[in-house]
Amino acid sequence: MSNAEFVTFSGVFAGYGGGDVLKDVAFSVPQGGITTIVGPNGSGKSTLLKTVSGLVRPRLGQIMFKGQNLVGKSAREILNLGVVQVPQNHSLFREMTVEENVALGAFLVKDKKVVASRLANLKEMFPIVAQRANDKAGSLSGGQQRLVEFARCLMLEPDLVVLDEPSMGLDPKTLKIMFQTVKMMNEAGRTVLLVEQNARQALKMSDYGVVLENGHVRLSGSGNDVLNHPEIGALYLGGGAQTKKEGQA
Amino acid sequence: MVHALIDGVLTGSVYALMATGLTLIFGVMEIINVAQGIFVILGAYLSYYLQLHFGIDLFAGLLITIPTMFVVGIVVQRLFLARLKGPEKTAMSILVTYAISLVIEGILNIAFTVNNVQLNTSYTNKSFQVFGVYIPYIYFMGFLLAIVLLSGLYYMLYRTRFGASIRASLADQSAAALVGIDVKKVSTICFGIGIAVTAAGGMVFGATNAFNASTSYDLISRLLTIIVLGGMGSLAGALVAGIAMVTLEDLVGAIWSPVWSTMAFFVVLVVVLSFRPQGLFGQQSARAA
Repeated sequence: MSNAEFVTFSGVFAGYGGGDVLKDVAFSVPQGGITTIVGPNGSGKSTLLKTVSGLVRPRLGQIMFKGQNLVGKSAREILNLGVVQVPQNHSLFREMTVEENVALGAFLVKDKKVVASRLANLKEMFPIVAQRANDKAGSLSGGQQRLVEFARCLMLEPDLVVLDEPSMGLDPKTLKIMFQTVKMMNEAGRTVLLVEQNARQALKMSDYGVVLENGHVRLSGSGNDVLNHPEIGALYLGGGAQTKKEGQA
Repeated sequence: MVHALIDGVLTGSVYALMATGLTLIFGVMEIINVAQGIFVILGAYLSYYLQLHFGIDLFAGLLITIPTMFVVGIVVQRLFLARLKGPEKTAMSILVTYAISLVIEGILNIAFTVNNVQLNTSYTNKSFQVFGVYIPYIYFMGFLLAIVLLSGLYYMLYRTRFGASIRASLADQSAAALVGIDVKKVSTICFGIGIAVTAAGGMVFGATNAFNASTSYDLISRLLTIIVLGGMGSLAGALVAGIAMVTLEDLVGAIWSPVWSTMAFFVVLVVVLSFRPQGLFGQQSARAA
């Protein structure tokens, strides 16, 4: 991965009208890697992702992406810049077919040939899209829906993929496939910004980690640094820091 | 009985058209437009005015009234409904659209008085015979008009990019925004379309029934019943429930007594909702996400 700063948060304050959830958040997401944000419930992780995709407008601060400030831009403008988000709750349109859902990922692309070509590529990358193309999305299992959501988010060929707790509600087998898919998206050239409840597993595959606590950045560093930090491990990763050997596995 | 069946299907299709507009508005915007009835009557009065003062044929006049009602819908949505936000939006929409309904009713009463009128042309009182049943031309033409407009609407919804954006907004507005759909724009245009269809529905209604502004109360109660029975936000539900309810009403009137026909309409609603609170085609958790 490159170390160039791809997304830079500086002095970000944001909330929902009843006070700030994010308080002076500042960190950078390196280009080409996977950055995982961890922290306890209510620390502002999902709110932070929503500020990137334009669903929540920060009260103060800047979020710079490719030289442009995302603050104040609409979700549509941010998509056009190459930032896509897969939200925490399943977001497929249940009454539409799997193929229609994936094709909608390229809603902003007007060239039908380009859409068809990208759809064909994604059918190879995600066999579930080809296998269940004409089935209603609502008929898929939770894990299958998540994979179709991943496929849909790639239709725009985004530079930055924002994933909000993608493993939520998945069984262990599907969880493994989901993490492999995140890795695959990253290897295909996408920078990934991830909030994940399976923090230990997510940090293991991440190049960079950020710990949010009460809306502040408590710690940031490489994935391994965060994973092996003694206090963070005890507080947020389900136990004490791992041994060096485990941490680097 | 055959006559009642045919009449029910022909008339029901026009109700289905009017109800489709109502359910589209609810589905996309979560707005219960209780002014839909008065918009139907406004559409009928527009046709009446064009015929009376300019001699324009009822069907030809739709080329003017449909776009006019579309623009009226856009203006009403931008001025009054776009401002409704938050969890109270749907409840507030009932009050706001009721106020709009009262204002339009008042204006129509001043402009056209409270006397009943009916749209008349050379073909409104003529009929043709099929299998021994006399079918008035206006009912058949109204049916064809409803089929053409509903087909156009369904083609737009299921075969076009804009239609996909409407269906996505119907399902989940946040998810629709995340794929780049301009939900505000979709909402405005949907409201325009929902009101535009009342021009056609109003013309056929006015050519088959005497009406004045207060007729809108009976209309809106029927239209709301149809979309609740079909499932709020379900286009297929509006179509099926519209035809089924009016056909049932006509059949009960023919077999039993017209006195009970309106009651049968509501008995079916109560029975269906007892077993399927979400209506025939509605989804209980469709908007939970």
